[in-house]
Amino acid sequence: MGSNILYIEDNPDNMMLVKRALESHGYTLLEAEDGLSGVEAAEAHEVDLILLDINLPDIDGYEVARRLRASERHNLTYVPIIAITANALKGDAEKALSAGCDVYMSKPINIRELWARVEAFVPAPEPKTK
Amino acid sequence: MNTSPHSYVTGLTCSGCGKKYSANEIHTFCPDCQSTLLVQYDLEAAKQHIDRDEVSRRSKGMWRWHEILPVIEAKNQVSLGEGDTALLPLDNLGREHNLRHLYVKEESSNPTGSFKARGLSAAVSKAKELGIKKVIIPTAGNAGGAMASYAARAGMQSMIYMPKDTPRANIEESRIVGAEVILIDGLISDAAGLAGIKAREEGWFDVSTFKEPYRTEGKKIMGYELAEQFGWELPEVIIYPTGGGTGLVGMWKAFQEMETLGWLKNNKRPRMVSVQAAGCAPVPRAFHKKAAFCDFWTNAATVASGLRVPKSFADHLILNSLYDSHGTAVAVEDEALMQAQKELAMAEGIFAAPEGAATFAALKELIAQKWVDPDERIVLFNTGSGLKYLDRT
Repeated sequence: MGSNILYIEDNPDNMMLVKRALESHGYTLLEAEDGLSGVEAAEAHEVDLILLDINLPDIDGYEVARRLRASERHNLTYVPIIAITANALKGDAEKALSAGCDVYMSKPINIRELWARVEAFVPAPEPKTK
Repeated sequence: MNTSPHSYVTGLTCSGCGKKYSANEIHTFCPDCQSTLLVQYDLEAAKQHIDRDEVSRRSKGMWRWHEILPVIEAKNQVSLGEGDTALLPLDNLGREHNLRHLYVKEESSNPTGSFKARGLSAAVSKAKELGIKKVIIPTAGNAGGAMASYAARAGMQSMIYMPKDTPRANIEESRIVGAEVILIDGLISDAAGLAGIKAREEGWFDVSTFKEPYRTEGKKIMGYELAEQFGWELPEVIIYPTGGGTGLVGMWKAFQEMETLGWLKNNKRPRMVSVQAAGCAPVPRAFHKKAAFCDFWTNAATVASGLRVPKSFADHLILNSLYDSHGTAVAVEDEALMQAQKELAMAEGIFAAPEGAATFAALKELIAQKWVDPDERIVLFNTGSGLKYLDRT
């Protein structure tokens, strides 16, 4: 099993925080900054887990999740998706789960929890040595 | 000459990564790992200078423990007379359930009618000391009224996001002291998201549960008071209703601090019990799975508005206190907590908030499971007054 994680997120601060946290545990992070490029990246690369922001500038995260689950690329119908949102609207969690996400996390992202959630699906490789 | 400082605060430490921060600057949570910051004190120095029994002789109130609270100058303390709530024996219910030492810590006598006064007194005071002029909070109810009242007393602007079906008393008590109240179609988690956005956009200081370091400090004083009220011993069992969980985490911190201070006659800590409503029970679900974090509780619903918290920001600290104390977590149905509210009122004359009544409902389950012993000292926490929920009962 690989360790490629796709993070679909338009906020550069969140992207940097998560990138640093996951790369420190040896994961490889693929980045997409909107929903459509996120779907494209998922279909073009081997990804083992997807972190998905809900409030994206083009299509929202719910629609991204629905498109991934309906993808002709078979592994995307079951690849783990962790929704990460600022939960600013009623029922974000419920909508994320019904759109096909496996886990819902709210911002601010507790990094220890993120590691635990990711590792539950994708075992951590050895951390990169300098 | 007495050289003892007003506070022995030394700084803040991240509960996740251990990184240290100054208590003389404005901080929220750890920017590196996004965990809660906890306040640290020079307890070894405090141990040399503070006489526990002298503290007991001071004028009543939470701020008599100022050396182990975070405000450096007394003039910044914003008080409405919080703390030093009664520890009442529940002899009638104890007899009925064959428990010889059953008590309630009666937090409804705090200003604004709930335990939230303690945390918000500490947070608003420290905000004042740090020069903050406007504070914002998402709330399931009582925290909003408390923050608004302390902010008014401190001369600060306040803004509150709360669910539109929050008890009316919470809405009105916030407005009358000058807060801007925004009612939202959602839960506290939704309110938190909106308040966070507002805070970032307009420079409000967000005093959300565990997203600033100081509310926990006010709440921890419940632990100091309990020890004092039990003659510097701790009870065997504490049963606590858990929304955000600052009280549970705060008391656990207090017990650790008192051990370092050498104030306890023995270091046997209580078994901590977290109580939530069955319609929103992320902590019991995580506890019984032995998880480190809670999953977000979807479709949360309960009459106990203070327990309608789908996931606490510091859920791992709550769970750690349960694991470390060999405690447990109990979910009670709304019918059971409303029945418990009636029984507490009829048998003991205490009109508890639904959240407080939930602790008695949970106790009955623990008795049935033989999890408590008839000779143990058991403390229920009634976190607020039932009078604030008249549109719910």
